[in-house]
Amino acid sequence: MNRTLIPKFKILNLGGILISIFAIFLAFLVGAMIMLFSGVSPLEAYYSLFVGAFGGWINFADTLFAATPLMLTGLATAISFRSGVFNIGVEGSLYLGAFASAWVGFTFTNLPSFVVIPFSLIFSMVVGGIWGYIPAILKVKLKVDEIVSTIMLNYVAILFTSYLVNYPFQVPGVANSMSERISKNAELPRLMRGSQLNLSFFIALALILIFYIVNSRTKFGYESKVCGKNMYFAKASGIDVDKIIITSMVLSGAIGGLVGALQILGVYYRFYDFFSPGYGSDGIPIAILSNNHPIGCLFVAILFGALRSGGSMMELMTGIPIDLSNVLEAVIIFFVTAKIILIFRKSKKGEVV
Amino acid sequence: MNLPLLIASGIRITTPILLAAMGGVFNQQVGLMNIGLEGLMLLSAFSAAVVGFRTQNIILGIFSAILTGIIFALLHVFFVIKLKANLIIVGIALDLLAVGLSGYFLQIIFGVKGIFSSPRIPRLSPLIRIGIMSEFDILVYMSWFFVLLTAIILYKTRYGLRMRACGENLEAAFSLGIKVDFYRYTSYIISGILCGLAGSYLVFTLQIFSKNITAGRGFIAFASVLFGSANPLLTSVACLIFGFAESLQIRFQSFVELPPQIIQMLPYLAVVIALALKNLRSEGV
Repeated sequence: MNRTLIPKFKILNLGGILISIFAIFLAFLVGAMIMLFSGVSPLEAYYSLFVGAFGGWINFADTLFAATPLMLTGLATAISFRSGVFNIGVEGSLYLGAFASAWVGFTFTNLPSFVVIPFSLIFSMVVGGIWGYIPAILKVKLKVDEIVSTIMLNYVAILFTSYLVNYPFQVPGVANSMSERISKNAELPRLMRGSQLNLSFFIALALILIFYIVNSRTKFGYESKVCGKNMYFAKASGIDVDKIIITSMVLSGAIGGLVGALQILGVYYRFYDFFSPGYGSDGIPIAILSNNHPIGCLFVAILFGALRSGGSMMELMTGIPIDLSNVLEAVIIFFVTAKIILIFRKSKKGEVV
Repeated sequence: MNLPLLIASGIRITTPILLAAMGGVFNQQVGLMNIGLEGLMLLSAFSAAVVGFRTQNIILGIFSAILTGIIFALLHVFFVIKLKANLIIVGIALDLLAVGLSGYFLQIIFGVKGIFSSPRIPRLSPLIRIGIMSEFDILVYMSWFFVLLTAIILYKTRYGLRMRACGENLEAAFSLGIKVDFYRYTSYIISGILCGLAGSYLVFTLQIFSKNITAGRGFIAFASVLFGSANPLLTSVACLIFGFAESLQIRFQSFVELPPQIIQMLPYLAVVIALALKNLRSEGV
């Protein structure tokens, strides 16, 4: 029934946004139904969720804090999706980048902040980028499906970093598996008293702006978009498709690595094994909801951040489990992806004609 | 090293993986890669725990787990076929939904967070009490029976042939008059049933439900399907390798030189290497 509506939306160029908002609205409706079914008041729940996320500066800062890693995993995923590469491997890059940055942080303890922080961040990006290169080269040279290889390589990366902190870099006399603490110089400064919001928020914001410009103003931005729309057409019109695939996977991996580093230097100050609650995989729905647009990633990440930071307030005030946030996110993804492919199909038909 | 014990534990660890993987084989053969196995297993496990605990009846528990598996498998495939949603993304969303829904209702129904353990959750009893056989309940035997059944259905029946035809080339199958949607939907129903059994097995052997009771077993099942190229027998071998690797690591840590993380890592790495080698060979031809 939506089929006739979608092309019209596309002309308006507001379509993606409208459909995303509609999906979010539907998800909240489904969430309300689940709550009514389980005998709690949805209005009260959503009210406390909203207040918890946006009521007052501290709450708002906490929402931005929760949104920061999501902004970047969303961006990392969007960069690859936009080029038509289905990179699920941001989580793997994130773990390796996190460990790399922690290693710099606890090894070079004498360096001043303005040296050790950039060193640590760049090193994590290099490691993440190399990790992104592996599935890219497998795809280009051997046609190994990147969805499968990146899912598998995520486990390899997560288990490998767990090995690192349990064996070669084990801290003696500590029960949990963690690395040594990074030096004070490597910590990212907090922005506000009473909130964990730190410098990484502005780094994330800067990267979003950079990729907004890259996408709209550069040759890579244009070519990757053409690739994502139709790889055969891109090839036929002389675009080096392999290069685009590799570049976007490496960039995606590098940003994935950076997210890990920012979480270590800004939040955890150590590498713990299995520390990420799935920041990398959260990037996938964020990229889809934002239509792979960097600015979209910012807003969707803030929405997801709000669901999380507001969710804990909701649980505290009304006793409604925070797991509801996961349900809402999942339902949003269900509805949004249902629409995405309808557009995709339509344009495919157009090509044939 | 106690070999019979190792074998018994390896087979028990393999059971839920094997059940889910056979579901995955049906999906893969019909051309719809299912990465939602983990979610299906988790939701069924939750339903088995609730109904099993409330009714004290293991059969009802398994039945409700199967029903839950079917409902969510159908939801998954409905979004993919009718609403043209992206298969992989819906699979990921299903896994997320499973964590959210089970966590939410765990707290609403039992008032506990994350984990619910009770001796009043019934427990499967061994079918034959001789030697290592006394470690095995009915679902262990059934899982291997399903491997055979899957192989027979896929390779010896008209239904299986047509199902594989859909996976090979959907449009060609459609133009030959095969009701492709029927095969795609039923493959997910089968997958829902098998994930339901896998979830029940976890709950009714551990007498526990937790948000991470599946602990990646669905993904291991998914990896096994890929490793075994969706062939039921090869897939079952892959499941056994995964199962025994874990059993070695859990039960015989001191006998193994390699760190457990490295052992756990190998199967995933093996899938990537196997795919690369397969394509390397076909590139060469």
